[in-house]
Amino acid sequence: MQPLLNDLAMMSQAVLFNIYFAAASIPIGFVLAVFLALGKASPNPLINWLSRVYIYAFRGSPLFIQFFMFYSLALSLNLAVWKPLGISGFVLHPLFMGPLVLILNTAAYTGEIFYGALRAVPRGEVEAAKAYGMSRSQQFRHVIWPNLIRLAWPAYTNEVVFLFHATAIVYFALPVIGAQADLMVTAKTLFERDYNAFLHFSVAALYFLAVSLVVFFLFGLVYQRLMRHMPAPPRMRFKPKWIR
Amino acid sequence: MNDDIAFWLSYLTNGKHLAWYASFQFTIFAALMGGGLAVVFGLTGATLKNSRFLPLRLIGTIYSSIVRGVPDVLFFLFFPLAFEQAVEWVVASQICTPESIAAQTSAWPPCKEANWFLGTTEYLLLASVSLGLVYGAFATNVIHGALRSVPTGQLEAARAFGMSPGQVLWRIQIRQMWVYALPGLSNVWMLVVKATSLLSLLQIADIVLWADRLGAPNFLPAVGLVHEDWRWRYYLVLFVFYILVTWLSERAFEAITRRVGKGILSEARV
Repeated sequence: MQPLLNDLAMMSQAVLFNIYFAAASIPIGFVLAVFLALGKASPNPLINWLSRVYIYAFRGSPLFIQFFMFYSLALSLNLAVWKPLGISGFVLHPLFMGPLVLILNTAAYTGEIFYGALRAVPRGEVEAAKAYGMSRSQQFRHVIWPNLIRLAWPAYTNEVVFLFHATAIVYFALPVIGAQADLMVTAKTLFERDYNAFLHFSVAALYFLAVSLVVFFLFGLVYQRLMRHMPAPPRMRFKPKWIR
Repeated sequence: MNDDIAFWLSYLTNGKHLAWYASFQFTIFAALMGGGLAVVFGLTGATLKNSRFLPLRLIGTIYSSIVRGVPDVLFFLFFPLAFEQAVEWVVASQICTPESIAAQTSAWPPCKEANWFLGTTEYLLLASVSLGLVYGAFATNVIHGALRSVPTGQLEAARAFGMSPGQVLWRIQIRQMWVYALPGLSNVWMLVVKATSLLSLLQIADIVLWADRLGAPNFLPAVGLVHEDWRWRYYLVLFVFYILVTWLSERAFEAITRRVGKGILSEARV
């Protein structure tokens, strides 16, 4: 029992790093994704092509490679750019590099989700807004955006949970500085100490599961709030069928 | 100019680079084997989820939700380690003597004789199995949904012909399920392909590890070409490689869907 409690205590510090990586990248990624989705739907051929290529490239390659690529790129620019500016310690720090790559990655995935939702916005509502003489920005703010976010929210919730899971590989690609270790690094160091894979990895998994459930719960509350104009769905009833 | 081309050709075909090109086999093997196993585990999971008995249904549901609830990296690292330890534990219970256990200084394995050394081949197989297990959980959901998309008329007709439930499942439902499962399975395949970049975490000298070695700055003319940090160039090559694989897979899945969906999906696609 004691080893389990020890692990739970140690990892409660480590999970903060995973939460930090996710929390730092989600808001910026969200904003970037809106622009990418609008860009992919834009009639301007250059903007359209650029956002398409961006989304395709970042969705079509592993996050692990993206981490290595951007980190080594930042390293090779160190002597020429970061050092003279005196910000090399900041730029090369995993707490900056990690969220940066995660932002670039999640923006592409979220942008694709938003683009799909954008195309699913009911045509008639947009036409009605046009008929009312709304300007482009009014159309977006009052008609397109509320529809888009409602359509995209369930898929976006999944993406946030996957992003949280993706924070597990940050420290496999970036250097671990001092005691700044996330769940996976902590689990791995503890494993290398006493070779108890089942305990350490299970505790780490438990933390990931717990945070995922919290995310699902919170985003579910937001979804309820977004959908408050709709009739409430029927309540879940616990009625197990033992055999059917 | 010609000298330049000759120089770069010889640089890109030196022994280290050839080893890098050869290491693509690990990635391709892991992707194919992992993808194949994912379908097998997905079929098993979906069948369990559709089972008539609650315990089996629970196993299927718990499998697909737990594995999807934790990061793939965690499971990818955990499964090979856990499997190795389980085998060593079984072996240890057979061959360890009290003396050898007393002589063992480290925490694991129980005695030195029970130690199981894993080479690249073993790790590659274990990595493929864990890829299959992880993405089998995703495939479970896909196949579970696809099984429900098969028109009920087809199943009723099969029952009316006097087929047993097993025959209905194997001859009608699973045969027709593929068309509906293909878009989801294509997504799972893309996930498997992207997850093959993690092989280096299991001490396999895969394309990522080689890219790191080749790109690392070199200051000794005796070792090879003197160059500064070129790692990002090598990673850029891998970045493009994965995008190309994704693009090719997309095209392939489109072609398969068009071929298989003839006469079935024509109404669905406007």
